[in-house]
Amino acid sequence: MLRSLKLLGLSLLIVALPALASAVDVEDEKGTFSIEYTPKRIVVLEFSFADALAAVGISPVGIADDKEKARVLPAVREVIGDWESVGMRSQPSLEVIASLKPDLIIADIGRHEAVYEDLKKIAPTLILRSRRETYEDNLKASAIIGKVVGKHEAMQARLTQHREFMQSYKEKLPKGGSFQFGVARHDLLSLHPEAAYAGGVIKALGLENAKTGAKDGASRRVSLEQLLAVNPDYLIIGEYSKPNVLNDWEKEPLWNVLKAVKNNRIFNVDPNTWSRCRGIMAAEQMAKDLVKILTP
Amino acid sequence: MITPSRFFLFSTLLLVFLALTSLSFGAVSLSFLDVINGFFEDSEHYFTIHEYRLPRTLLAIVVGAMMALSGALVQGVIRNPLASPDVLGVSHGAGLAAVLYMTFLPDASTNWLPEVALVGGLLAAIVLWLLCGTSSSAIKLAITGVAMAALYGSAIDFVLLVKPLEVNNALLWLTGSLWGRGWPQLTSLLPWLLLIPLGLGLAKHLNLIDLGDDSAVCLGTKPNIIRLISLATAVGLTASCVAICGPIGFLGLIAPHLTRRLIGGRHQVLLPATLFVGALLLVIADLVARTINPPIELPAGLMTAIIGAPYFLWLLFSLR
Repeated sequence: MLRSLKLLGLSLLIVALPALASAVDVEDEKGTFSIEYTPKRIVVLEFSFADALAAVGISPVGIADDKEKARVLPAVREVIGDWESVGMRSQPSLEVIASLKPDLIIADIGRHEAVYEDLKKIAPTLILRSRRETYEDNLKASAIIGKVVGKHEAMQARLTQHREFMQSYKEKLPKGGSFQFGVARHDLLSLHPEAAYAGGVIKALGLENAKTGAKDGASRRVSLEQLLAVNPDYLIIGEYSKPNVLNDWEKEPLWNVLKAVKNNRIFNVDPNTWSRCRGIMAAEQMAKDLVKILTP
Repeated sequence: MITPSRFFLFSTLLLVFLALTSLSFGAVSLSFLDVINGFFEDSEHYFTIHEYRLPRTLLAIVVGAMMALSGALVQGVIRNPLASPDVLGVSHGAGLAAVLYMTFLPDASTNWLPEVALVGGLLAAIVLWLLCGTSSSAIKLAITGVAMAALYGSAIDFVLLVKPLEVNNALLWLTGSLWGRGWPQLTSLLPWLLLIPLGLGLAKHLNLIDLGDDSAVCLGTKPNIIRLISLATAVGLTASCVAICGPIGFLGLIAPHLTRRLIGGRHQVLLPATLFVGALLLVIADLVARTINPPIELPAGLMTAIIGAPYFLWLLFSLR
């Protein structure tokens, strides 16, 4: 009898072991985050987190997508299918998040620190940095997300694949010249410096960023004269509105002094991909865009 | 004009009705039964009702009432219906402190934002006091306050232009919002509620000041001291609210104004009545901001500005 009980206990332990082993501890922006199960209903509050989930084939149930599904990268949308919008990234609706009954929330320390305590009441909350993150930061955050959602190996494989992809695109790209990415709105142009996400992707592809003099990663609003001071060889523009400030500048004599204008090296890219989305798939899309631009 | 007893009955009923509406509507609409169940921990709507909508609704009531009282006190002292707590420069001072904190210490925790804003608001009031002293005329005080507010406002713009890093967060805070505010914020506001009876107690003296300083002195009140106490109370009320919700524009201006049109200018009735009007306005503003385009949340400050700015213009023209 005793023996069979022991046997029973042992077999229970064996059955329970995988469940115990699935407990993960990771470091997030608020210290150690632990989760003892594999989350099934995940809500993400930034596009870069959706990108990381899509990279390992997981579909979030809710995304803070600013109520515009088109803002999620097309490649990501293809993987994850449909989801519920939980409002703006800057002020996600906590009610909608709660109504989705998530078992994991991934939030951005830059935007959501003020509601971190509330989010924790809804579900375990992994809080990472998304806004102001660099290209390398993003890859690290993706690795953390991979661990938490129980896809550590798949994520590591995907990251290796990503580095190989970037390497192969790096080899395809011709060298030389400085690059500057900027976002054009109807009345202003803001340049993303080297320390910003897009600048990091440009660098990772072995290209040179134009010198803007900025030390941090914040995008800076510039006038035409300031743009001339930066004077990049290639100007990559994401147009948030059309017509925009560049259409006005085209009429000014200074415009024709720009190297990029003289050599006809101004190119348009999707502002959403280049400015809002960050992540493995976004970076790959940006690499594809650059190859398309530079190897006609 | 309606009689005070009718006003208080009607506004209490309206406030209860709006508070219940505010509990049942939002990005997710709940039935009355769900709302009741939501007060108990085993309900699936416990978070939505008890942890989210209830503190937020209560906060809207408290903040609305405090801002309105603050406005009524300032208007009573400055004796100008266009005056509001904004002319003391408190909200702008708080805004400047918050923006400086967010831009120059971007990695510091946002949990300290209320304290920083509170200190900024109080500092702005102290600066105004140092500039004007206790014996200045009301109009000098108002003009100095507006000038200081403009100075802080331009400093905010300057910082946002020079350090664009945290613009989004700062702008979000500067519009004034109840998003993400809950029990902790409500609790931290509780000690400041003591200022409400203090403010209400000033009613008789404010009536006397309305007659002009000479008459007020003859009738046994000390205008300078009353002015100082009233303004200090108004500053405390505004600064504590702004620290929690950000500057919610126009509320301190329109709430006392509407009240004056509804039940007249006797401060014994005006001051308590304006508490109700302020609370009603902010509950409505937050309800509209939450439900107009769910799940998108607009800042409540934007709503009060949309109602407040045209009202202010109309007031300006009708005063001539």
